[in-house]
Formats: sequence, structure tokens, C-alpha cells
Amino acid sequence: MSHPARWIAIAVAVVVVGIGVVLATQVGSDPRADTTTSQLVGGPAPRLALRDLDGHTVDSTSLTGKAVIVNFWNTWCVPCQEELPALQSFAASHRNDPDVAIVGVVRDDTKPTVRDYVKAEGIGWTIAMDPGSQAALAFGTRGQPETFAISPDGIVAGAQIGPVNEHSLEKMLAAARRQGT
Amino acid sequence: MRRVLPWAALGVVVLVVLAWAAWPDGGTATPRERARDLATELRCPDCEGLSVADSSTSSARAIRADLRRRLAAGETEDEVRRAYVDRYGESILLKPEGRGLGVLVWGLPVVVFVLGAGGLALALARWRREPQLHATAADEALVDETRRSDHA
Amino acid sequence: MKASLGVLALALGASFAAIGIVTLALGIRRRDDSLLRLGRRFVFGVLVAGILAVVAMEWALLSHDFSLQYVAQNNARSTPLLFTITGLWAALEGSILLWILVLGGFLAFAAHKFRARATDPLVAWATLVGLVIALFFFALVLGPANPFKTLAVVPANGNGPNPLLQNHPLMAFHPPMLYLGYVGFTIPFMFAIAALITGRFGEGWLTDTRRATLVAWGFLSVGVLLGAWWSYEVLGWGGYWAWDPVENASLLPWLTATAFIHSVIIQERRGMLRVWNLSLIIATFCLTILGTFLTRSGIINSVHSFTESGIGPWLLTFLGLVAATGIGLIAWRGDALRSPGRLDSPVSRESAFLVNNLLFAGLAFVVLLGTVYPLLAEALQGRRLSVGEPYFERMTTPIGIALLFLMAVAPALPWRVTQGEVLRRRLVIPAWIGGLTMVVALVLGARGVTDLLVFGLAAFALAAIVRQFYVGARARRIAHHEGWARATARSVRSNPRLYGGLIVHVGVVLIAVALAASSSYSTKAELRLAKGESATVDGYRLTYLGNTVTVSDQKRVVKARVRIERGGDDLGVYAPAVNIFPNSTSAIGTPSVRTGLLRDVYLTLISSPVDGGRVTLGVAVNPMVVWLWIGGGFLAVGTTIALLPGLRRRRPEAPVESPEAVEPDPVPA
Repeated sequence: MSHPARWIAIAVAVVVVGIGVVLATQVGSDPRADTTTSQLVGGPAPRLALRDLDGHTVDSTSLTGKAVIVNFWNTWCVPCQEELPALQSFAASHRNDPDVAIVGVVRDDTKPTVRDYVKAEGIGWTIAMDPGSQAALAFGTRGQPETFAISPDGIVAGAQIGPVNEHSLEKMLAAARRQGT
Repeated sequence: MRRVLPWAALGVVVLVVLAWAAWPDGGTATPRERARDLATELRCPDCEGLSVADSSTSSARAIRADLRRRLAAGETEDEVRRAYVDRYGESILLKPEGRGLGVLVWGLPVVVFVLGAGGLALALARWRREPQLHATAADEALVDETRRSDHA
Repeated sequence: MKASLGVLALALGASFAAIGIVTLALGIRRRDDSLLRLGRRFVFGVLVAGILAVVAMEWALLSHDFSLQYVAQNNARSTPLLFTITGLWAALEGSILLWILVLGGFLAFAAHKFRARATDPLVAWATLVGLVIALFFFALVLGPANPFKTLAVVPANGNGPNPLLQNHPLMAFHPPMLYLGYVGFTIPFMFAIAALITGRFGEGWLTDTRRATLVAWGFLSVGVLLGAWWSYEVLGWGGYWAWDPVENASLLPWLTATAFIHSVIIQERRGMLRVWNLSLIIATFCLTILGTFLTRSGIINSVHSFTESGIGPWLLTFLGLVAATGIGLIAWRGDALRSPGRLDSPVSRESAFLVNNLLFAGLAFVVLLGTVYPLLAEALQGRRLSVGEPYFERMTTPIGIALLFLMAVAPALPWRVTQGEVLRRRLVIPAWIGGLTMVVALVLGARGVTDLLVFGLAAFALAAIVRQFYVGARARRIAHHEGWARATARSVRSNPRLYGGLIVHVGVVLIAVALAASSSYSTKAELRLAKGESATVDGYRLTYLGNTVTVSDQKRVVKARVRIERGGDDLGVYAPAVNIFPNSTSAIGTPSVRTGLLRDVYLTLISSPVDGGRVTLGVAVNPMVVWLWIGGGFLAVGTTIALLPGLRRRRPEAPVESPEAVEPDPVPA
């Protein structure tokens, strides 16, 4: 009887080749690509029920009928600071659009610091505080900054992790407007 | 019998100790403990692979608080896991699920172990059954050559 | 200038390797001794080329020559001297230079050691294989991973190393140790391939490479433990092992290598398990390459993969070729590999070693499966999955327990056949010590079947090891009328391989106990304290004293000073910190650890004292962690002893020789 070594070797070779092929097909793909897609896209948006800097409620149910850009950020994260100009010019260009709303959600930060920052930078859109990170959890955020686009009928149409620029914001807005039509 | 006695006694001691340890404590685990256990099974979303229990990022702490809240509100572990998978995707779970492809990762080691143990048993049995009582041609040739070189 | 010197050195090295390969191949083909003797000299050329290339890179680093892209990316003017030097292995390209240097060193050592046998085909083939491997790595650095690439525009200052890599002096030791381990296994591997090619797969290649294998194993073990130490003391997430894909990548070759160093003992004694040993060393070498691939190709997100580069396909191809060659050779030799020896009994030291092989191979399989599974799932079904600690713990713990049991029992098992009575008599006291330890542990509060088993088996194993020392020393005492200390020392000296191995086992047992204790009985808490405020965690009273901020060229450090007291005794002031580097957006935390024999107090600074001067501290009380490092010390000592040459008996009245000193066993009554 021949030594089992030969057959074991062939079996091992099959397994190794299999693993090798799998690894080879993965080498080209970007391992970080997946982290930019959110599970929420295409599904109903979680409800936002937070308070803004003056203590008034910010409730997403009052925003139905509008396309909403929800931007998670805080004052000390550097990419958030970097994306601010893009958000500001986006806000300026849609200032007169009644069906577009921007909500910034702040977590891991303190009210006084945020208030000062908003004043210094001239941020004009609604800022809501998320002290317990409940909204961040509900939206499944993975880091800062993270931006979501919600359609007028409450479906998440787009999501981006990492700083946005004007182009990506416009794209997300277009997707939100298209959703449901 | 005398030889086996110390070993039998030891076996009893060990079994008693293990049974005592394995005996479930009175009452179920508190929500806090259950939350801690569940936290070791979820990956912290903005870390490289740390569990929510180990990480000290703000999202990890928020998730721990959320787990405690949910379990205290009566949700089961499975419901909580499902909610998080819906939110973050399957990669939030550190323990792959047993369905589908997951059968591979849990089942293969068992299969390999069984094969290994089986192979070992077979090999032992074969070695027992086939004592090498007959010289092979190579052995004979070796002996002849030694004899020749001895004479030379 | 330095770049040119570096590239020239690498090109020279590649040429030497290539010419050496051709020369040796011709020499083997034509059985030309002079060609064989000439061919081996090129190995020294390869070493010199490696040294020159490393010198060129270090020179560029030390002189902050930012015209080299590698220096610009991994060094800055403000980088301290130590981290400038360690910048050689701070990123992919430079670390391959280190690999080449170490490989050159090992190959030169082997060429020198076997210089008297330069014309032996086994040695010639081994040298040839070694040079082929060297040529591959030279091709890597001359191709996709060139560290001497120059920049057209020279920046005024560089980026500096990744902040994680300039936080702790351990950076000087962990990667080189690992590489000494990884690369060291090239030597037994090349001899294994040579043995398969020449058909001389008896025990020769094993004894020839025994010491190199042990040295490599020792360095790899220390390297892995240093990685765990770094994880614990420097990275600050609170643990020492995250089952990170790169950590697993360093563990995998260690597992197969450990199986290998045990299994070769059987082949030396009884001529058995030939195929196992060949397979294990080929697997070990392949796993070192796979480990490099997983770490450096960026295929898996991890703490270590700072770079994604084009070397992934190269490494994968090389790995495929190596695996194909090894498997192909074994399949080709097939039947001729049949070992002459036989297992006589299922309860014997041989079968214990065979079971050991199976357990370690199983362990390696599980770790490999868990690491590769997410990639498989993504390739086959497009799903993103994680496999983390819960899976690995669940799968490896039973195997670990089985190994502990084996460690206790196997050294007491006689060779070939066991009489039950002998085994029972040898092990009854150690076994009872194990059982009683379980009772004591239960009384002291240990819960969990796994932990109790670990503690009990650990005590069992330790007692069995002490018994071995005792028996050996007692025999010497009787024979030579020496005192206990002298007798033990002499007995160790006369059989360093056995006793060195036993000391290594002591280290492993200590590590196992530390693993069980620290993973099950840690206490964690988060404290929010104002200045002067205290809180108590697990008997330790922690008082926040205030914070300090230090600024240097390299970084800005915010420290929170905390006093630790227990039972009224002041245990000192410890300061967890957060380091902010100018070129990085994220801050790196540094933990502060009070190491104790029984417990560590582990402090981290979670949030700086921003609002109202309150600080958030992470506190963990981790039992028995220091025993991981103490166990590592035993590993190092035991390996060193095992490397000592054994004494041969010279006195004529000594009993008939055996290759090793026979362990004196009392005759069964």
C-alpha cells in the first residue's frame, strides 16, 4: 500500500490552491471600500428626537416632505473641520430651497464649546446635541464625520463616511430627491 | 485494586470540583452581566477589531450603555444582535453565525479533529496488526553488503 | 548618493545570489567539487551586500536625507535618535532590507558551519535553495518595494514615523526579534528541501539543523511575547492579544515550529514521523511568508498594515511556488518516505509526540481558518464578516487544555512501551498535587470549568517537571555524593536538551496560568474624577492629583497623575497619558501600569481634563499578567540551556553509550 503521504499531499495542495485563489482575488479590492457603505441605505431613516443648542426639540417627523442632509460631527475632529467649508457653501446655495434641510448632530462634545464654534464659524443650519450618542447609534455611525441623505418620504437615500465635498453633497441630495419618484 | 485506589480517589475529587464549578449559580445573570457578555461579542465600529467590551472609544461606551438599556427593557440577546446587524452589517459580530457559510468555520475544526483522531486510531491499529517480521529486499541487500565489506 | 549606494548594494546582492545559484547548479549537475566550493562563497557576497544596503539606509536616516522617499515618509528632523535608527523597519520597504540582512547572516552562518561538507550534495542543494530565497527578496526590493526610491522634489522635513512606532523603546526589539525567528526557519527549510531532492531523508538533515531551528524558535517565541507586551503596555487598549490578523500571522509559524521541534526528537530517536517533519518545516516556512503577506499587503485591515503596496501579488506567487515545490517533492517521493520505525504502543512517548503534532496542527488550522475566513466569505458570498476573540477562545481553549495535560504526562512516559504500573507510580504525586490545586482554586473563588482545569493541569505539569529534576539530581547524589545544588546543576549540564526543554515547559505553564487568570478575573471600571477626588476599584484607592502637559519637538503629552493606594499603603503615583503628534490627527494613548506579582493596576486616560477639570480614567485590575513575561523569561533561559552542547561520558567505567544521557529511572519494585 502506498504511503498515504502522496494522497494527503494532494489534498493539502487542493486546499492551499483554493485559499491561494481566494486571496489572489482579494488582493486588488480595496479593503476599506465597504466601510463607506451604510446598511441603512434604501431603508427607512431612524427617527431623530434631539434638542438644539437653545433647548428646542429637533424632531425628524417635522421634516417630512423635505430632503434632509444629516451630518454627524463635533468641534474637535479634524476631518469635520475640513469639511465645514463644503457644507457651508452647500447650505448657501440651497438657502432658498424650502424642500432642503440640513441638520448637524453633535456627539462627544459640550454645549458651550459647540455654541462658541457655531458662532465663530457662522454656521446657519440646525445643530442638534446627541449627548448619549443615541442618534449616532440609531444611524449606525462608524466614525466622524458621517453624512446621510434622507428623502422627503423618510428613506435613507445616501450615506458617506468621511469628509464630504460639495460634489458628493449634491449627489446625495439628488439621490434623496429621486427616491420615491 | 490498591494500585488503582489513589487514582480513583483523585478522579472523584476532580469530578466533584468540576461539577461544583459547573453548577449554575442561583438565579439568572443580571442585565449588567448579560450586557458585558454580549459586549464581548460585538465589534467596536470605529476600531480595528476590538470588542465593544474592550474598547474605550465613545461609540463603544455608547453601545455598552445601549446594550444595558435594551437588555433591561426585556429584549433577548438574539434580538439585540439582530438589531445591531441591521444597523452595522454582519461584520459587527465577532462570533460568526452558524448558518450558511458559518457552518464551515465552526464545523471544519470539528471535522478535522475527528479525522485526525480517526487517522491516529487507524494508524495505531495498523501498526499493531502489521509487526514487521519479514525482511524486505532492501534489508537483505544491506545485510549482504555488510557481510561482504566485513570479509573484505 | 546614498540611494545609489543602496541600489548598487542590492543589485550586487542579487547578482551574487544569481551567480551562486548557477554555479552551484552546475556544480551539482557535473559533480564538480571546485564549482561547489566556489558557489558557496557567493553566500558571503550576499551577506556583504545586505550589510551595505542596511548601512546605506541607516546613513540616510541618521542624516535625515529626505531625498529618499522612504526617509521622507518615516523620519523627521524631530524624530529622536532611537526611532531614527529603528526607522529601518518602520515600514515595508525597509523591513525587507532587515529581512535580507538577517537572511544573509543565517546563510553565511550555515555556509561557514558546513564548510567541511561543501561538496556534499545535501549541503550544496541547501545552499542553492537558500540563495534562491535570497534572490526573491532582492527582487522584491529592486522591484515593487524599493526603499531607495528618490523624490524629485526634496521636502524640507519628513512625516516622521507612524506615531504608534515612536512611542516606546520596544520598537527597537519586537520586529528584529520576530524577523530573527521568521528568517531563522529558512535554514531547516532549505535542508529539508535538499533532503527531499537528494533522497537523503534520514535523520542527517535534522541533526545538522537542530541548533538553528531552536535558535529561530527561541527568537520567534520571544518576538511574539514582546508583541503581546507591546500590545499591553504601549497600545493601551487594555489587553495583550486581540486575535488581530497580524498577531495570528506571527502565531501560526510558531505553532507549526513548536510541533516541529518536538516531532524531530522522535525522528532522531526512532526514525519515525519523517513525512510529518518535512511537512511541518515546509508549512512553517510557508507560514512565515504568508504572515509577511498578510501583514504587508494590506489585504486585511489591522493595526499593522500601514501601507498597501504592490508586493501582495509577488508574495502570494512566491508563497504558491514554495508550497507547490514542497508539496510536489513530498508527493513525488511518496512511498520512499516511509519510516522504518514503528509505534509499539498507544501509550508511549512516541504516541504522545504524535498526539502533540496533531494538537498543534489542529491549533494552527483553527487559527488559520479564523483569520482567513472573512476573506473567504467575502470572495465567495460578498459578505463582510469579522471573526474575533469569542471564536478563537472557544476553539483554542480545549486544545490548550489537552496540550497542558500532555505536557504533564509525556515526559514521564517511557519510550516504546509503557507498563501501567511505572506510569502510575511516576505520576501519582504530581496528579494529586494538580487535584488539590483545583480544590484550593475553587475555595479561593475560581469559577469556570476551564479555569479550574487549567490551574489543576498546570500544577500537575509543574509537579511532574519538578519530579524530573528531583529524580535526576537524586541519582547523581547517590552516584557522586554531591550536594543537591551541585547535583541538579551537573545533571542539567549532562543533559541540557532535556532539562532546557523542561524549563521551557515551566515557562509555557506559567503563561497558560497567566492567560486563564487574566482573562477571567479582571475588573474594569471607568472613573470620572475631579482634582483631588478618589474612587475605589477592587480594593485599590485611586486619587486624581492633577494633570501636566509637556511639549517637545516630537509630540505634546498630556498626563494625568493618579495616586494608587491599597489597604493604607501608598503604592505610588502613576500617570497615564495621551500623546499628540503634529502630523497625525489622532492622539495616541499611553497606559500606566502598576505591575504586581499577583495583580496589575492598569490606568488609561480616556478623556483629557477639558470640562470642569474632570478627567475620565479607565481602570482595570488584571491578575497575574506579569507571569506572562516571567514565563517568557523561562522560555528564553530554557532555550539557551537546550542549545548547550551535551557532555559525552568519557570515563571507561560508564555504561554503554546512548546518544543522550539516559534518564536514570529507579527499577520498578
